[in-house]
Amino acid sequence: MVHYRFPPASAYRLNRCLFALKSDDAFRSRFRADARAAMREMGLDDADAAALLRGERDALVARGAHPYLVFMADLRLRMEREAVTFEYF
Amino acid sequence: MLVGAFACAHTPQLLARPETEDRELVLRVHAAFARVKRRLEALRPDAIAMIAGDHIEAFFLSAVPALAVYVGTECAGTFGRYRYRFPIHEPLARALVEAGIERGFDLVYTQDAPLDYAFYVPLHFTMPEPSVPLVPLHVNVYLPPQPTPKRCYEWGRALGEILGSRSERVVLMASGGMSHFPGTDRYASPEFDYDRRLLDLLSAGRSRELAAVTAEELDRAGNIELRTWITLLGAVGDAKADVYCYEPSWHHGNAVVEWPLAVT
Repeated sequence: MVHYRFPPASAYRLNRCLFALKSDDAFRSRFRADARAAMREMGLDDADAAALLRGERDALVARGAHPYLVFMADLRLRMEREAVTFEYF
Repeated sequence: MLVGAFACAHTPQLLARPETEDRELVLRVHAAFARVKRRLEALRPDAIAMIAGDHIEAFFLSAVPALAVYVGTECAGTFGRYRYRFPIHEPLARALVEAGIERGFDLVYTQDAPLDYAFYVPLHFTMPEPSVPLVPLHVNVYLPPQPTPKRCYEWGRALGEILGSRSERVVLMASGGMSHFPGTDRYASPEFDYDRRLLDLLSAGRSRELAAVTAEELDRAGNIELRTWITLLGAVGDAKADVYCYEPSWHHGNAVVEWPLAVT
């Protein structure tokens, strides 16, 4: 597969964190308030946490993150931060 | 009995309407959705059996079912500021699980899973009032290895036979597609030519050929979600597609399609 690959077990915590950012409103709030604490809660290692803090999609995917989770976690965060840009018409 | 069959895009931008979108294009897709809503009102279904690809929402890596059926009394979910809840046609959902298992499909069922926006976006625009009870049917599209197109087609054929033996008037609706590549470098360059060739095939009633496409082909063409359509195609057989719209946006091939069926 070129675009969507089997999620490696080594990236389970990273994918779980992205899943929570996408789908868990309470976790997303905690992340927005204190990202480092929220990532510690999810057990992310330093390299995963650094890539997520910088929002580096390619680095996250290279570490085993599922591209759709990266995409939607980012979208859900932006929908909250920049709500004004939605429902534009 | 199966009284209607539709496929609808569920592109979230159709609902969220960010400033990045072409307003006129979005409104044309909304108009096609409105046509579906009018058809649903005319068909008077007792239930809508909706096949959607799970967007890693109902199921995460704790368990990844290839094919699943939601069997509850109601189902709810959220997307952004939207909070939604639909009644479930529990007797039909249970019958699909039981008859599906009997026919050799090792289905997962759940009574506790959030309803993905892949279900909600088309229903937001097409659900008649009052709400028609739903039967959510999940297909794993995002987490490889996904069910093969052939298996999806076979499950759809079984679904068609099971629904054909039931007294309820049921509409099948596939949610998903067409070409898009969320989270990848290809997001702004979908395979629109692939979509158009496919719609030509479906309009000619040659849907059987889709059962033979490979997982690799779907991945390359940004059409992993087409598994939901292929499932539906197993149920509608050689019926010819009536394409309400095909609207290629900068990130999605948005299609709305009906397969008019002989029964009324």
